[in-house]
Amino acid sequence: MADVLNIENLHVSFDTYAGEVHAVRGVDLHIASGEVLAVVGESGCGKSVTAQTIMKLNPMPPARIKEGSITLDGIDIVDAGEKQMEDIRGRLVSMIFQDPMTCLNPTMKVGKQIVETIQNHQKLSREEAHKEAIRLLEMVQIPNAAQRAEEYPHQFSGGMRQRAMIAMALSCKPKLLIADEPTTALDVTIQAQIMQLMATLRKETGTAIILITHDLGVVANLADRVAVMYAGRVMEQGTVRDIFYHPAHPYTRALLRSLPTIDTDRGAQLVSIPGTPPDLYAPPEGCEFASRCSECMKLCRANRPPMYTAGEGHIASCWKLHPDYPGEKEGR
Amino acid sequence: MAETLIGLKDVCKYFHVGRGLTLKAVNNVTIDILGGETLGVVGESGCGKSTLGRTIMGIYRPTSGTITYRGKTLDMHSRSDRFAYAKKAQIIFQDPYASLDPRMTVGTIISEGMEIHGMYDAQKRRERVYELLETVGLNREHANRFPHEFSGGQRQRIGIARALAIEPEFIVCDEPISALDVSIQSQIINLLKELQERLSLTYMFIAHDLNIVKYISDRIAVMYLGNLVEVASSEEIYAHTLHPYSQALLAAVPIPDPDKEAQKRMRVLSGDVPSPINPPEGCNFAGRCSRACDICRQKTPQLREIRPNHWAACHFAGEEEAEG
Repeated sequence: MADVLNIENLHVSFDTYAGEVHAVRGVDLHIASGEVLAVVGESGCGKSVTAQTIMKLNPMPPARIKEGSITLDGIDIVDAGEKQMEDIRGRLVSMIFQDPMTCLNPTMKVGKQIVETIQNHQKLSREEAHKEAIRLLEMVQIPNAAQRAEEYPHQFSGGMRQRAMIAMALSCKPKLLIADEPTTALDVTIQAQIMQLMATLRKETGTAIILITHDLGVVANLADRVAVMYAGRVMEQGTVRDIFYHPAHPYTRALLRSLPTIDTDRGAQLVSIPGTPPDLYAPPEGCEFASRCSECMKLCRANRPPMYTAGEGHIASCWKLHPDYPGEKEGR
Repeated sequence: MAETLIGLKDVCKYFHVGRGLTLKAVNNVTIDILGGETLGVVGESGCGKSTLGRTIMGIYRPTSGTITYRGKTLDMHSRSDRFAYAKKAQIIFQDPYASLDPRMTVGTIISEGMEIHGMYDAQKRRERVYELLETVGLNREHANRFPHEFSGGQRQRIGIARALAIEPEFIVCDEPISALDVSIQSQIINLLKELQERLSLTYMFIAHDLNIVKYISDRIAVMYLGNLVEVASSEEIYAHTLHPYSQALLAAVPIPDPDKEAQKRMRVLSGDVPSPINPPEGCNFAGRCSRACDICRQKTPQLREIRPNHWAACHFAGEEEAEG
């Protein structure tokens, strides 16, 4: 299947008074149509910056694409002008955010906000657009959609606002939906509702989804493939089963082990990752994770490891996967 | 059996929200917190778990009901009672960015409590600060720095050091890790567990992450709309969940394991939590409950002991067991 999105060797920096922050440093990602790619990582690992760069939502300056290419449905995003981006946003790619309250216009009725989006991209009369908006609200399972469309965002609960956001994002049938922490602000029972909704919509519409999150439970539930990011780079990428059952990178392994699950023995101590992520004003020479890695070697501090293949469609950036590495091979 | 450290009896905390309306944030909560245990409190946002924590701390005065400390009833209207109690009970807040005064050095933040309670002389207090910083995994040099120089995880450690400074017996941990990254969360959890063992502390651990609550707690209390709906030991509550709300809550937690997640039969709870202003008659949960019938809408269920040391507030709890 053709890739909807292809990112190659993307570097994004922010120029600040304190110096240049290398937020994204050589990211390669691709996503096929209908696929759910989860991007996981801690705060500051560059996952949101990558997503915002796809839609060119970062104010430039201070942000700057230093290198690399982004191809969305055959269109080069890096060189696209603002006019072209306005057409692309909403029609080809749209985004939902963590906090739905700050993303909806509080002074406008929810239905009207959706109508506005539709009319920006499609030639429909006001009545037709309004009907379409109500159909979309019904699709995201908002009860009494026709009546709800005449209400303002503050009259909606958190879960309903997120549903309205999803309706708006899908209004022009985009090829790619970027969901930036869509359930982080919601309670678990509402989170379960939204996850179920996203799974259904993806089956019905065939939209590819980039799911940005730090919750590995959500990833296990929704994703087909996973990219693990750390300090501005993708450390490991593979299918959801590769990542959860055969993690090849020490960071992924540590991350998975540090989570208590319902089955974790209460007497056991949690495995924690010592230290904190590196400073991106001055990223380290070698592997970014070296200073916190329990399997760190001399080589790791001096040289950054390239991507090695750990299995079919499963890659990881760790020297221990080098073909000449003598020790036991973990993962596969 | 450990003795009761803090006892709550019919504790209510109502807020007046104008126009003669009352928000019942905490409603008739009766529970004993035993010495040396960790009581986990879980529930969705707005269920009153933080209000309960703050009421126990004496930050809020209960609207009605009594709080006892080691068998002695506390008069929350008396300054001296509150002051003496504050020496025994401390709190760690959720947001490590908002809960430290940005204009105070870390040393001052930690020693302030000791000063207020007239503990030690200045020299000894400084030594205690160094000692506490090392206890929570920081260095003595950090005492002269300001909060903005620290990361989220480090700030939470400062918050813990501040709570420990006056040698309390009881600490309310109000979502101490939900603002932190996954890799940092486990560091803080391990620290809290280690401190509990070393200093024989009693915790009330408020959180919405059920995996972590299960891991850290001896007993768990589930709250819904200001009421306790189920209380049991953490093994028991996961093995024999009695209340339909607790069942839905547990089922909704995504498991970081794709195969288990695919097998899981999703019982997604429909609807939202009703407003705690003028809550519905009868059982609060009736509107979202699949088993609700007439009695649920008329009569409020009371917390009953259905299995040994396992309490639930549901008219039907335990019936399946009796049948099966």
